Amino acid sequence: MTFWGALLQNGAYQAVANTLFKSQRRQFWILASLPLFWIFFANLGPIVEMFWIGFLDSYPPKVGHEPQFTLANWAAFFQDRVFIIPFFRTLAFSFIFTAITLLITYPVAYFLAKHVSRKNQLLFLLLLLIPFWVGEIVRTYAIMILLGNNGAVNLALKSLGLIDRPIPFMYTGFSLGVGIIYLTALYMLLPLYSALEKLPDNYLEAAADLGAGAWTRFRRITLPLSKEGIASGCTLVFLISTGYYATPVLLGGPRSTVFAETIAGFFHVAGD
Amino acid sequence: MTGEKDTIVHIDNVTKRFGNVVAVDQLDMKIMAGEFVTFLGPSGCGKSTTLRMLGGFENPSEGRIVLDGVDVTSQPPNRRDVNMVFQDYALFPHMTVGQNVSFGLELKGKSRPEIERRMAELLDFLQLSGFRDRTPDQLSGGQRQRVALARALAPDPKLLLLDEPLGALDAKLRGQVQIELKDIQKRTGKTFFFVTHDQEEALTMSDRIVVMNAGRVEQSGTPEDLYFRPESRFVAEFIGETNLINGTVRGVEENAVVLDWNGLSVRGSGHGHRPAAGDNVTASLRLENVTCHNKKPANQNAVEGKVISKLFKGSRTSLDIRVGEREDSIIRAIWTLAMLPKLPMISSGLAGSRNV
Amino acid sequence: MTRNTRILMSVIYWAFIVYLFVPLALMVTMGFKDSKFIGFPIRSWTLDWYAAVIQDTQVLSVFGYSMTIAIATTILSLIIGTWVAVFLGPNQFRGKAIIFALACLPAVIPGIISAIALRIFARLIDIEPGMFAIILGHTVHNVPFVALVVMARLSTQPKSHIEAARDLGADSIVAFFRVTLPYLKPALIGAGIFCMLLSFDDFVRAFFLGGYQPTLPVLIFAKLRSGMSPEINAISTIVLIMTAILGLWAERSMRRLNKGS
Ligand SMILES: Nc1ncnc2c1ncn2[C@@H]1O[C@H](COP(=O)(O)OP(=O)(O)OP(=O)(O)O)[C@@H](O)[C@H]1O
Ligand SMILES: [Mg+2]
Repeated sequence: MTFWGALLQNGAYQAVANTLFKSQRRQFWILASLPLFWIFFANLGPIVEMFWIGFLDSYPPKVGHEPQFTLANWAAFFQDRVFIIPFFRTLAFSFIFTAITLLITYPVAYFLAKHVSRKNQLLFLLLLLIPFWVGEIVRTYAIMILLGNNGAVNLALKSLGLIDRPIPFMYTGFSLGVGIIYLTALYMLLPLYSALEKLPDNYLEAAADLGAGAWTRFRRITLPLSKEGIASGCTLVFLISTGYYATPVLLGGPRSTVFAETIAGFFHVAGD
Repeated sequence: MTGEKDTIVHIDNVTKRFGNVVAVDQLDMKIMAGEFVTFLGPSGCGKSTTLRMLGGFENPSEGRIVLDGVDVTSQPPNRRDVNMVFQDYALFPHMTVGQNVSFGLELKGKSRPEIERRMAELLDFLQLSGFRDRTPDQLSGGQRQRVALARALAPDPKLLLLDEPLGALDAKLRGQVQIELKDIQKRTGKTFFFVTHDQEEALTMSDRIVVMNAGRVEQSGTPEDLYFRPESRFVAEFIGETNLINGTVRGVEENAVVLDWNGLSVRGSGHGHRPAAGDNVTASLRLENVTCHNKKPANQNAVEGKVISKLFKGSRTSLDIRVGEREDSIIRAIWTLAMLPKLPMISSGLAGSRNV
Repeated sequence: MTRNTRILMSVIYWAFIVYLFVPLALMVTMGFKDSKFIGFPIRSWTLDWYAAVIQDTQVLSVFGYSMTIAIATTILSLIIGTWVAVFLGPNQFRGKAIIFALACLPAVIPGIISAIALRIFARLIDIEPGMFAIILGHTVHNVPFVALVVMARLSTQPKSHIEAARDLGADSIVAFFRVTLPYLKPALIGAGIFCMLLSFDDFVRAFFLGGYQPTLPVLIFAKLRSGMSPEINAISTIVLIMTAILGLWAERSMRRLNKGS
């Protein structure tokens, strides 16, 4: 007998299977058990716990002191400049980086989706993908080398005779931007590409037929039809770029401290 | 073993609803062992739903399904001695032909040598021996169809379900496979439950045809019954091409009903129906039963007519003939060499009739 | 589209490619420079840095540690992610959209927030910072990716395949293992490699959830804070090459999803 045949004919297995599959309802809940547990325990649990702690007056719990419910932490957060400035700076940075990423990647995605033949599209896309497999730290380091005082950019500018002394790119909002965009561009590129790729060529041809100029065609057809791709790309890039920690530490300077660094700093002291 | 005329399946007053849609409406029928039964009907009439209830893929909303004397209504598919040939064949793409055919045997707990023997036997029977180690994507449509058949036959089911299994084949191959399939059914002696919406296919293969319409059985009988003695307008129209004649009964004779059709007198067989004089009835006049002559023959059913159009359809040509005075008294006939295309023409025929 | 805009766009594309590759190329180059000082000009070349890395027992043990975490994470993510996909894909029930959104949540939460939330949560459920906590954190992050890839693949499987298996005597468990799982294989290979990459490269979760033993990215980070050195380039280059190989392999197996039934 083969393995599966033996299993199905096995009395003990049949007994177990009979109880498991007794009704559609039971089968559904057995199938649902692990996913629901995982989603509520592992996905939702940490987030809920974190919010909950935000309302406690002391954390980690001290001996002999029951944590009290309080809004003080949230009040402190919105009053303390140490928190609030990096917080809004992070939002502003992420917003700007997202906008720049969109401007840079839109033509790239458009070129890929519309001007590269089907056969080559995968190859060209692969070319874009490869650098994104490399981790955050390694890529951040690569940017450090690029922008350093003796880095490739300064070297190139110097040898072209444009500058005498190296420009201090590093540890500024600029270097941080170059790094973050380097890390997140893919999350913009892929949604844009898949939105533009679905856009049928004959829409544009029809519009051109009706006498629409290049700019009109772009504004009235391409842009609205790729709106979904733009929206999901921007959301992803925005969210992800607020979450980097190592990159701001390594590339940013004192005047570009982001929220991640602040909370990480506080976390190591207390843990709020 | 069950005898030749034993009931193998009893569909006992089964109704199936999907929300508000009644897909199958109080279906009650029996299938005999060794029969080739075909469910025929237009799209959406509930054929597949009936078949899927037999296979165990849908649960009836009401009624029972009895298989060989056992109520299997609430049994899952894996507990039923019923196998299915799917419309898309549903061959497992990651298994070879041999593995596909062995699959059901394996799960039944058969020993290796037994599986091997039965698989080889079936592959041989269906002329697939050379393809044993190929995967389904290396086969042609007809070969895949045969593998699906072999796989379904392997566990030796009491009933074989086939849901439009020839739909994916091209017209030429389909005709050939129809004959093969009927032959396989005869040689294995298995009960086949076949679903199609192609009336020609049904007529070619079946021992019995069940015509369905909107979840109900319209008529059930041999192909000849349905073709020559349709019991409703729906069946007459659905099977073959026909002329429907709406008339009033003038009188009933011993083997014939005489109709008044737009002032013309038409005689036809009542097939057991004896409508009263004055009733409005519809009669069906098959195209091939209309013969045309140059001179009006001394026949009671002969009427004069005029050819108004000719349609060439390859193997045959059909003629539209206006008979009598009225614009809408048109009869379609098949053109044969015996007929002369000269005008005016006289047509005659024998009509099957039925109350409407 | 006019000729000029087309040319302009192709220029932007290639400039973007240069932007993506030049930093990595520089990093690789610097790993062969015969000087402790990172930057131009380069006067002579050496393989010494690679020799140093290969002999550095700390780097090797950290590498093994990261690899262990990546493999464990991948196995767990594949099991849970597939299970989630099989549950959410074919079943229709009330509140499915919300459950689906919650299932995808960890993929969009900013890394730092998720890392800190997990750290607090690990303390709550008594998990010490360390390997197990990192594996948990990475699995939480990876499950949505696996689930999405598997769901996409699952949606292309004809319903009749499972019905045929059931028809031939399989119960739902046997039908899953004999028919569905083989059908999902290319998706699972692709998703699995992707999980390895995500886990192996992750910094922020490993940093906050780890104990004294660092993972490879955390080690590179620590080394970077005390200054750049060509040794880091050598380590990074090795990581880069491994990543690229794994990535290309994943890409190939995902490509096969589009072909074949
Ligand atoms: N799972 C389902 N959910 C809701 N309605 C269904 C479902 N399956 C079938 N129906 C409905 O039941 C009716 C009968 O469907 P069925 O598939 O049995 O038709 P059919 O006779 O096989 O048609 P076809 O020749 O097109 O295959 C149709 O109106 C169909 O829309
Ligand atoms: Mg059907």
